[in-house]
Amino acid sequence: MPASTHLGSQLVDLCSVLLLLCCFAIVAQRRLSACVDLFALQSAFLAATAALVAFLTGHKHIYFAAALTIVIKVIVLPRILRKVIERLNVSRELGMNINIPAGLLICGALVIIAFFITQPIIPLGYLLTRDSLAIALAIILIGFFTMIARQKAITQMVGFLVMENGVFLGATAAAYGMPLIVELGVFFDVLVAGLIVGIYTHRLQDTFDSVDTSTLTVLKE
Amino acid sequence: MTALLTGLLACYLLGGLLPLCTTRPHLQNLFAHGCAAAAGVVGIVLGVAGLLSTTPLALSLASNIPHLTFAIRLDPLAAFFVLTISLVGLAASIYASGYVDEFSGRVSVGLLGSLLNGFLLSMTLVVLADNGFFFLILWEVMSLLSYALVVTEHEKPGVREAGLFYLIMTHVGTAFIILTFLIFFQDTGSFSFEAFRHPDQQLPEGLRSIAFFTALIGFGAKTGIVPLHVWLPYAHPAAPSHISALMSGVMIKTAIYGLIRVYFDFMGGEFPWWWGFTLLVAGTVSALLGVMYALMEHDLKSLLACHSVENIGIILLGMGAGMIFHTYGLHELAALGLLAGLYHTINHAAFKALLFLGAGALQFATHTRHIEEYGGLLRRMPWTGAFFLIGAVSIAALPPTNGFVSEWLVFQSLFLSFQLPSLFLKLMLPIAAAMLALTGALALACVAKAFGMSFLAQPRSAHARHATEVPRSMLVGMGFLAGLCTVLGLAPMLVVPLLDRVTAPLTGVAISSQVLALDGWVVAPVTVEFSSISTPVLAMVLVGAGALGLLMARLCGKGLRARYYKTWGCGLNLTPRMEYTATGFAQPIKQVFEAIYQPTVKLEQEFLEQSKYFIKHQRFESHIEPVFEKYLYRPVVTLLLATADRLRIIQAGSLHLYLTYIFVTLVLLLLWAG
Repeated sequence: MPASTHLGSQLVDLCSVLLLLCCFAIVAQRRLSACVDLFALQSAFLAATAALVAFLTGHKHIYFAAALTIVIKVIVLPRILRKVIERLNVSRELGMNINIPAGLLICGALVIIAFFITQPIIPLGYLLTRDSLAIALAIILIGFFTMIARQKAITQMVGFLVMENGVFLGATAAAYGMPLIVELGVFFDVLVAGLIVGIYTHRLQDTFDSVDTSTLTVLKE
Repeated sequence: MTALLTGLLACYLLGGLLPLCTTRPHLQNLFAHGCAAAAGVVGIVLGVAGLLSTTPLALSLASNIPHLTFAIRLDPLAAFFVLTISLVGLAASIYASGYVDEFSGRVSVGLLGSLLNGFLLSMTLVVLADNGFFFLILWEVMSLLSYALVVTEHEKPGVREAGLFYLIMTHVGTAFIILTFLIFFQDTGSFSFEAFRHPDQQLPEGLRSIAFFTALIGFGAKTGIVPLHVWLPYAHPAAPSHISALMSGVMIKTAIYGLIRVYFDFMGGEFPWWWGFTLLVAGTVSALLGVMYALMEHDLKSLLACHSVENIGIILLGMGAGMIFHTYGLHELAALGLLAGLYHTINHAAFKALLFLGAGALQFATHTRHIEEYGGLLRRMPWTGAFFLIGAVSIAALPPTNGFVSEWLVFQSLFLSFQLPSLFLKLMLPIAAAMLALTGALALACVAKAFGMSFLAQPRSAHARHATEVPRSMLVGMGFLAGLCTVLGLAPMLVVPLLDRVTAPLTGVAISSQVLALDGWVVAPVTVEFSSISTPVLAMVLVGAGALGLLMARLCGKGLRARYYKTWGCGLNLTPRMEYTATGFAQPIKQVFEAIYQPTVKLEQEFLEQSKYFIKHQRFESHIEPVFEKYLYRPVVTLLLATADRLRIIQAGSLHLYLTYIFVTLVLLLLWAG
């Protein structure tokens, strides 16, 4: 039986698609707190995907990674981000570098690019999860795009975290996850990045009375 | 010899690490300079052993990095440079143990000592390396450590700029050296020097010529060949004096080593005549301009740095003459030219290091480097004065000093050009000799200025008035080098056979027995009939003449009585303001060579209202045009800055823009790869 028609494989694909949908929702969302919630939801889907892969393949360490995802990305990081939003009293993203309809169109194009790029690679794979690779790449690109399109430091952080989710999904898809020690390192990095951005936005607010990173251009000599 | 080599490396490594393990300055001082001095002694033994041994010592250690092996080879050429480095290193580290007090409280003694050991180690390994990759790594380490040492006093104005200038120049040079090695690599497929030496197929003529030029520019930037010399007068004075002594005395010689290694060892035997001629021209120009700019410097250390350019020129003259003779198959003369160059290399290392240490002693005692603020120091610092005088006489190449012997040999190899078949070269080499003679005369004027204005007459400033003799360790360091200068001058019969072992494998003939006639008492340029000198006899004649004069005075002047009285000053009291100044001393030469110096003189005078014969206030300014900086470097820098200004458009400082750059690059790369 070919891998793509396997029930498990189809379930993995379904979860991956839910992750991608969350991405689009984030791009379309103006409210910051909703963006953070959507990120938490995406992380929950990611944990589900990881757990599903762990169940299907019997790789026990992926369970561990899924648990870490839930703790850090579903609980801790969104809490930090919500706190930052509360403290800074910014709820909406008003100015955007690229408006929402155009952004959604670009994201659609990015998904097509991602599928186009991975097309020659996917048939070479033999894993259950191989179709998710294209989706993972699309998530990475959209996360990156979010960082460019938005001006508030918090949504840029969300974009960064979405990219990280994409990388995680990609690793799971391409090789059933990275060695545990690498994953631990990555989680630690993400946590530190979250803390740093928390402090950084605070300093930004103090210095410029705004968390708009466009104001950083005045630092140019 | 392996044990000696291990001991050498161990001493330097210990000297690099131990000072950092303690916080007590006098322990740091002891560890750093004790280890460096011990390594110096081991290095001297190793150098002599390497010169005397018949088979080169080769060690190598493979590595995981492709093309890189940690290969070491101690052949006579490398041994000679190890010897030179160790001699100066020993003197500098003894000297430094007293000298670093100058920096106490401002600079960490441990760090300075540790860097010194690292610097000496990297220089020693550079000449020992037997793999191109390894050589380049060590070369970079040497450059970076010397940069760190140059900016030791980074809080002083100008020091950081000097360091940056040095860093840029040395990296440009390194780029060209890399190019040279890549040309060889492309031919042989390996970075091993052994492969460079014996390539499977000879490089095509065009590529060989390119390699010749890249090596000349690359090593020339380090050694200070005009017009790549501009960093020397800034960087060498900025460093602490024992470091200046090492940089000027030894580090720039590693580039001479590189040139000999590339030209004689890698491309051995086969070069067109114009290679040697190019070197000869570069040498002549460097020698002449070096000494001319030295004359106009009134900062003692800058003056000495300019003198380095001159002496490198003299070394290149010897090398260039040797290469020309080699092209025409006159192997004995080729060996003579190369030997003269190498002799001058070790001589220059000895006397230039001595002079820099002397300049450091003056700075230690007076806290200034400006010659116009010295004066009358001979009475206050007799030992420093005596050692400085030995160095000054050597650099001016007065007989019977070491500088005289090697410069005389360079002269002779240039005069022997009448044996060449080419009329053009027959004409050109004597012209180079004439230029060298002019250089020698100007050098004499320059050191007369440096010594006379610093040590004689009355003190010109309060600094000089209160100067006292420096600590004993500094005197020992200088005394060692002064002794070395004397030995190198009076005992060519010891030096020439050692040098002959270096040149014999490179040129194919041993000339030691022909250069040394009459059991070594006479030095001759291969043929005794042409000319010959004997420095021991010259020294005896000089001493004898002096003794004879005293004797005559004693015998004939019996009835006369010696009276001691002040110098007669036309009835006025003598003051330092009446003294000859360094600026005044150099003025006639500035006038004669106006075309080269392009001096600008500004005199502002304000007279009393009553009469224009009474000056109320006056101000005198005099500059010389830094020609190379203005016409060669300034346009390049301007062009670079203008280009950078244009490119700033894409550097908007916007976070989103930078993210977009990365994003677009990523997507394009993915599409291109897919």
